[in-house]
Amino acid sequence: MSLTTTSLAETVKKQYFYKLKANIDSFSSLVGIQILAILFSLGGISSSGMGGSFVNVNVKYYSSDMVLIFTLIWSFITAVTITTRPYRNNDFSFVTNRLSSSLSNILFLVTASVLGSITALLSANLLQVISYIFLDEQIYNIGNGTQHMILGFTVSFLYLILIGACGYLIGALIQVSKLFIPLFPILFIGLLFLEGVVSNGFIVSNVYTFYAMESALILFIIKTVFTAVTLFIAAISILNRLEVRR
Amino acid sequence: MKVIESKGITKNYFRKQVLKELTFSIEENKITGLIGRNGAGKTTLLKIIAGFIRESSGKMDVFSETPFNSLNVSVNSIFVDDQMSFPPALQLGELLNEAARFYPNWNDELAQKLFNYFSFDAKGYHNRLSKGKTSTFNMIIGLASRCPLTIFDEPTTGMDEAVRKDFYRALLKDYIDYPRTIILSSHHLDEIEDLLEDVLLLHNGKKLLHKPISDLKEWAIGVKGASEDVLDFTQEREVLYKNSVGMNTQYVVVKNDFSEEALSKAHHSGLEITPVRSSDLFVYLTAEAKGGIDDVFNNN
Repeated sequence: MSLTTTSLAETVKKQYFYKLKANIDSFSSLVGIQILAILFSLGGISSSGMGGSFVNVNVKYYSSDMVLIFTLIWSFITAVTITTRPYRNNDFSFVTNRLSSSLSNILFLVTASVLGSITALLSANLLQVISYIFLDEQIYNIGNGTQHMILGFTVSFLYLILIGACGYLIGALIQVSKLFIPLFPILFIGLLFLEGVVSNGFIVSNVYTFYAMESALILFIIKTVFTAVTLFIAAISILNRLEVRR
Repeated sequence: MKVIESKGITKNYFRKQVLKELTFSIEENKITGLIGRNGAGKTTLLKIIAGFIRESSGKMDVFSETPFNSLNVSVNSIFVDDQMSFPPALQLGELLNEAARFYPNWNDELAQKLFNYFSFDAKGYHNRLSKGKTSTFNMIIGLASRCPLTIFDEPTTGMDEAVRKDFYRALLKDYIDYPRTIILSSHHLDEIEDLLEDVLLLHNGKKLLHKPISDLKEWAIGVKGASEDVLDFTQEREVLYKNSVGMNTQYVVVKNDFSEEALSKAHHSGLEITPVRSSDLFVYLTAEAKGGIDDVFNNN
């Protein structure tokens, strides 16, 4: 009996395609959650009006922001889900080690983020079409064209992968100890309370400004990619020591 | 070549010590039976070998590597039990295709033939199979993957008599076609003893014995005869099992380290010397000192 060998890259590649098929349900939930978000956006996300004695102007804004926010939540949940025990056990029925399992998970999250950002972006067009067909109102379109699309895609993809990385690390921590399940909401809500007490902003608003208010694209890319990679490495090193099927 | 080498393996779960200083090695291309009572540590040991869990202390080498997180061990070994989990989104036919992609020695012809023989539906789902069918499907994956180290942990859970017999036969035939190291854990020694070359007997996390099955069959003898003669013959020896048969007759099982001469002398003096079935010996060796199940119901 001769032994066979395999490389990490080869195993990760096989596992990646395996996971695309195995986690097909997460893509159907993406479709569901985006349709829901589109329904919520149909009334317009904000409106402003002004008027005089003869003229009344009412402006409603339609955008796919809601879809993107819902997609961010979906990305977080997907990332947490794939760290759970059944998903890790699925890997261990075939050839794997903990590193290849994590790497293929990350590749899967990247793919999910690409799909999520493209569909979230395109849903803006769908909204326009729907409002054109069903609403008897004058429609103006701001922000269009290839460059706008590419920018929108890059930014929403980076947000998705950043949130995905947070979810993956939090999921990994929960796998170490279930104590993290109540800890994270308490921490988050507690920080929000602190935010209200402290006058000049605290962690949450600083973090928000750091990532969401960056106007230089290249800096934004550097910040998010660096953070996501750091979070993923932390998660990998945690998951690398976990026992399976015990 | 030694496929598995275990040196002083200990495993603790919380405060309980499941494996205690386990040292043994398993040679290439042998079928070894891992035998032990419920909770003896069989599954824990096999999961350490497969790299699912990590030993608390000691050193485990599989193909001269530490199995935990080793890709080489993973690609050359498979761990089959009834807890094997597969993604619920994939159909059984697709699962076979996935297994074929992962395992380089995969024999698709064998897999398809077994799949059809046990009348599985390629469009069925793994989580909807019955207990016995789940075990059967997992067994097909285990056999067809033809891994140099194939581990079956209680593979026959839930299988009916016919399927169990088919499985043992399939295992033996495929082993002859394609020899590999196989570890078979079970507590039904009598069912698998014809398959085995070696037996590794675990009791309470310790190795009780590890020897060829043929040696195990001769390892102990049963002596039957008049009580005084039997006691006389077996004195100063550790009695593994003792049973009174009617008036003044006793059956005693002792370790067989008598000389040929002593045995024939005993035979002439009217003692009946019989071999002990290995499954009976297993029960005697692993019996708890608390007496039998009858004592539980005995109110006096």
